[in-house]
Formats: sequence, structure tokens, C-alpha cells
Amino acid sequence: MSVATAPKRTAKRASAREGGSFLAALPWIGPALLLILAIVVFPAGYMIYNSTRKISQVGTDLKGVGLDNFAKVFADPALPRILLNTVVWVVVVVAFTVLISLALAQFLNKPFPGRTLIRMAVIVPWAASVVMTTTVFYYAADPNYGIFNKFLTDIGILDEGFGFTKNAVPAMAVAIVVAIFVSIPFTTYTILAGLQAIPNETLEAARMDGANRWGTYLFVILPQLRGALAVAVLINIINVFNNLPILKIITGAIPGYSADTLMTYIFKVLQFDRRLDISSALSVVNFAIVLVIVAIYVKTVKPMKEV
Amino acid sequence: MKKRNLRGVVVAGAAAAALLLTSCGFGGGNTGGNDDAGSPGAVTTLDMMVPSYSDGTKALWEKVIKDFEAANTDVKVNLEMQSWENIEGVLKTKIQGNKAPDIYNGGAFAEFAAEGLLAPATDIASEATVADFQPSFAENEKVDGTQYGLPLIASARALFYNKTLMEEAGVTEVPKTWDELHDAAKAISDKTKSDGYGMPLGNEEAQGESLIWFAGNGGNFGDATNIAVDTPANVEAAEFMQKMVKDGVTQKDPGATQRTPMLNTFIQGKLGFAYGLPQTVGQIKTENPKLEYGIAPVATKSGEPATLGVADRLMSFKNDGSKAGAVKKFMDYFFSADVYSEWVSTEGFLPTTKSGSEKMAGDETLKPFLDMLPNAVFYPTTNPAWNATDGAFKSLMGQIATGKSAPDVLKEIQAKADAAK
Repeated sequence: MSVATAPKRTAKRASAREGGSFLAALPWIGPALLLILAIVVFPAGYMIYNSTRKISQVGTDLKGVGLDNFAKVFADPALPRILLNTVVWVVVVVAFTVLISLALAQFLNKPFPGRTLIRMAVIVPWAASVVMTTTVFYYAADPNYGIFNKFLTDIGILDEGFGFTKNAVPAMAVAIVVAIFVSIPFTTYTILAGLQAIPNETLEAARMDGANRWGTYLFVILPQLRGALAVAVLINIINVFNNLPILKIITGAIPGYSADTLMTYIFKVLQFDRRLDISSALSVVNFAIVLVIVAIYVKTVKPMKEV
Repeated sequence: MKKRNLRGVVVAGAAAAALLLTSCGFGGGNTGGNDDAGSPGAVTTLDMMVPSYSDGTKALWEKVIKDFEAANTDVKVNLEMQSWENIEGVLKTKIQGNKAPDIYNGGAFAEFAAEGLLAPATDIASEATVADFQPSFAENEKVDGTQYGLPLIASARALFYNKTLMEEAGVTEVPKTWDELHDAAKAISDKTKSDGYGMPLGNEEAQGESLIWFAGNGGNFGDATNIAVDTPANVEAAEFMQKMVKDGVTQKDPGATQRTPMLNTFIQGKLGFAYGLPQTVGQIKTENPKLEYGIAPVATKSGEPATLGVADRLMSFKNDGSKAGAVKKFMDYFFSADVYSEWVSTEGFLPTTKSGSEKMAGDETLKPFLDMLPNAVFYPTTNPAWNATDGAFKSLMGQIATGKSAPDVLKEIQAKADAAK
């Protein structure tokens, strides 16, 4: 920012001028600000407000209860397992997505016949609706008529169909596979864009210096992908953390809370327990966790820092 | 010049904000514009939200509404269909936004009544219509002595059995007791390629399946003042259900099994026994008429008759009270013998009105279910904590199939019900 580098004595005047220019800019940024207020700040505020109320099961606001709802949330015996599930879910999905996407992007960056077609194929899972993709996986894994189970029994790995989506651990695994599958297109394309921004001269210079392929990749290419990777990881973390459709479809029928993440638990509290107040409190916790993750990430990785 | 600009911005901004806020549904109040509903010639619009009982429900309601609107030009009805899975969530959102439907078809109603949101039956139907309901059903619609719901349908569960599979497994008698059902289902599981008994404990119908078994041991879910899930009779029944699962006589993963797809496997002839509804008969007729099956009373511990009865109702949210007259017109029209009996018989349910019963007395399909109705146990829908109990059954009961001890599961459900008081 130029203001930061300006001499001290002019800073005050500069900020006064800034105030004036803010008013002048208001007509242009006003609509965007209003939009942010209406669709981000207001609902978030409303959620926080709801989390401090007692709301009857039919939805009438009864009274304020302070932080009681949060006390209930943290005393919930199901919470530890849910948090553990959430962590596993986010870490595994994001890690695999990024690793696979790195390889895929490297491959798509090489010139080969039919590259355009392959690139388009990679984007398909992104173009399809997540609900649709997940439903296809869900039916494929059905123990009675799922094509995946049929295949496994036909080649003799299984004696009879296995309920991949009927028990907590295998169902989480299936959901993780689906989540990786639908996250890859965006991640791959972000990394691909990063790869194409690397000037050819750098790579040539590395080659001239006698670096081998791995050396070039680790010490020349990877550092230059920092920006692209940072964006990809951050957006994936938020996306995966807040993902509902995949888990709802794959693990939704499993009784109890052993296959729930924070997000699906909020949904269950709302749908089955009809506790709008408790689920608001859970949502606030959810929101806080995302904020903390993002803050830690921005602080340690400094994604905006130039290489 | 600059000043004018600024004012323009403020006005435009305020307008945009107002637009955004109201479209978000937080505006409050009905914006339907029925200020002059009372004046002659004005049209009152009724919002009606109903669940779908079958693929034909929507068309059935649309026909009723079309005929009603033709006869009453001053009333318009907006129909909104929702699945059973979603309807209560949608309703709650609407109540929060002060947009509760004028006519609502639902199961539980006591907590709405307890919070004073519902109009009493006498405000939304004429005396003749209210008096036409069978007394036992009308009684089931009362909270603190006031009737709120207009009973729409009744239904009972019965044991559907596959004759072909029974023969193949060498089972000759239709099971009447738990033990007989267990052994018959075991024979089918062992000797045929099909599953013996279908137990849907997924979140679609866990409460229904549970109450069928609890009722078979003299148990129930409690009454209007007390939710009693964790009782000795219920625990014993839940333990027997668990035994069925452990002995492998049910389909796989009963805890995650939904009723609809499970009944489809019965209809396809791949399941020995399952509890079904009157509609199941119609489904078999259209989807697999060749199925060799029979209908028998529910198998209970001692063989004494007992079953789960379900009654759903129409109710009306008061809102500002201006639409009661129009609602009354609609209800009186709908519950008239001809319209009502056609609706009920098309959906395959049992009628709740005296005039409707007379009209449908000769229906053969309904007979086995009508016979069971006197011994039916109903959900405690008049208890304000029933909604929460229902939700707890849906999300927790399936755990008995994943190995958690039955008494613990019932305790967990009871705790959720108690927390809702």
C-alpha cells in the first residue's frame, strides 16, 4: 500500500483525503457493500442472535438465555466423535485432493495429442451437480443392486454385496472418495494456471545448471506454485469443511452420530431435534472454527506474499 | 451536484436494502394483500401445504381445488407439495417468517396448538362437518379439551407375507407370535436366497416400526401428558428386535434401511415378511401383480391383536385470523361425503368421517385393515413433546441394529423427549 510508505507528516492529511474519497467512491462500492451487508453480515448476525435465544420447537422465539445453548453444545457427549470426524474428513480430503491435483496438473501441462480433450474431461465432475455425482456413487455402492458391489461379487472379491454406505467407517471412506473426486477439477485448474505462469526461461536456466527432474520440480517449480497452492488449499478447506450434500446423501441414513461431521450434525439437530437455537449455537461454533483455521493459515502460509 | 448524487445514492441504497431484506423473508407479516378480504367480490387466497402420500397425491388435491374454486369464485387456493422428509422443516421456517400456511396437512400438531398458533376446529369447519368425524378420531385431535385438527386419514399396519418364499422354506403357518415370526423368517433367510423379515429402522420410519413391536408387547410411546419410551415392556420389545437382527433373520443393515425401498424389495418378491399399509396393496397391484402374498394381523409377543394406527389431519394456522371464513368453505367442501370418500379411497386410506365410512363400507382391500383398527395404538400426537420424540426415534433407534444395547438406546431417546418439555 502506498499510504504506508508515505512520509509520516502527510499521513494525517492523506487519511482525511481518504475519508473524502470514500464518500466519493460510495456510489460505486455502495451496492456491493449493501449486498455484503444483506447476504453475509445480516444472516451471520441473525445466526448469532438466534444462538442466544430459546426458540420453541415450532419456531417461536421464547426468551433470551445468554450462553446456555453453548453450554449444552459443549456438554454434548456426541461432540468429541463429531469433531474427530470433521478433522479426519477435512485433512484427508484436502491432502489427497492437492496431491492428486499436483500430479494431474503436471501431466496436463505437458503437450501431447488430445490434450484439450483430456483437459475438458477433467472439468466434467465440476460441471455436474455435486448431488447428482454423489447419488450416482451412492447407488453404485448399494449392497443389493449397486454396480460396484455387483462387480466386486462377480470377480469374486466379495461373497455378497457389502453395505459400504450403511456403516459409519466405510461410509465415511466412500464420502471422502466422492469429495476428492469433485474437488479435483477446481484444484487441478488452479495449479495448472500456476504452472503456466512459470516462465520458460526459469526452467531452461535450471536445466542449464544441471538440475535433474526432481530437483527442478522441488526447488524451481514448487516454490513458484506457492500462490496457486495457497489459494487451492484454503478454498478447499473451507469448501470441504462446510460440505453438506455429499455426507448427507452417503451417511445420512446411518443411525446415531458416529458418521457425522459438525455440518451434518447441525443439520440433524435442526431436522430431527428441531432445535433451532442449539443448531444456531453449533453454527456459530462452526463459523468460529473456520475463521480460526483461515486466520492460522493466512498467518503461517502468507498466501498473499510474493515469491 | 455532489450533494444530489449523495442523496440519490442514499435513496437507491435504502430501496435496495428494503428489497433485499423483504425478499429474504425477514420482513414479517403476511404480504399477501388480503386487507379487503371481507368486502364482496374480493378474492381470498389460501396457502395450503400438504405432503405427498403417493405419486397421485398432487393430482388428487389439484382436482379437489379446481372443483372447489369453480364453485367458490371468491377463494383461491395455492397448493404446495412437500415430501414427508422435508415438510416439517419447511413449515418451521414458514412459521418463523410469519408465513404459516392457512391449511396444513400434518402428523403432530400438539405443540402448534400449545403455542396458540392453530385455529380451533369450530372456527375452520361448520358444526355439521365437525360432528361427522368418528368420535374416537375427533378425541385424538384435542388438546386441553379443544379440538384443533380435522382428521384426514386413518391407517393401520398389517403383516404382508410372501407365500412363494414361505413354501420354499417349508413354513406352513402364517406367524402370529414373535417367536413364530422369528423362526419363519429364519427359515426363509437360511433356505432361500431372500431375506426373512424386513425391518426398516432408518430415519424414514424408525418410529413406526418401533411402535408396531412395542404395541405387540402391550407397550406404547406414552400419552398426552407423558412421553414414556423407556419402559420395561418397550425395552423387552426392543431387545427382541435386536435379537432378530443378531440372528440374521432381517435384511442387512436394518439401522440404515428406509421403509420405501424396503417395501419395494417385498413387492419384487425378495422378502419374506414386512409390515405394510393399505397402499402397499395398490402398489403391488400396479408394480408386480403376479406376487403371491397374503395379509395377516401383526405378530405380537403373545398373539393378542395389536397394531400401529396412524391418523393424519388437516389443520389451520390462525395467522391474522382474516381467512377463517374461506378455510371453512374449503373444509366443508372437502369433507362432504362424495369429495372426501373419493380422495380417501384413491389414496388407499381408511376414512375418518361417518358419512365417508358408510360410502366406503364395501371396499374389500380395506377390510383387513379396518378389522385391525380397534386394536390400534396411536402415536401420542397430542403431547407437545411428540415431535421431538419422533425425531429422536428417527435419528437414534437404528442404533439397536449396530450393536448398541437396546435399553441404552431407549434411554437416549427418552432423554431427548424429556429435554423437549
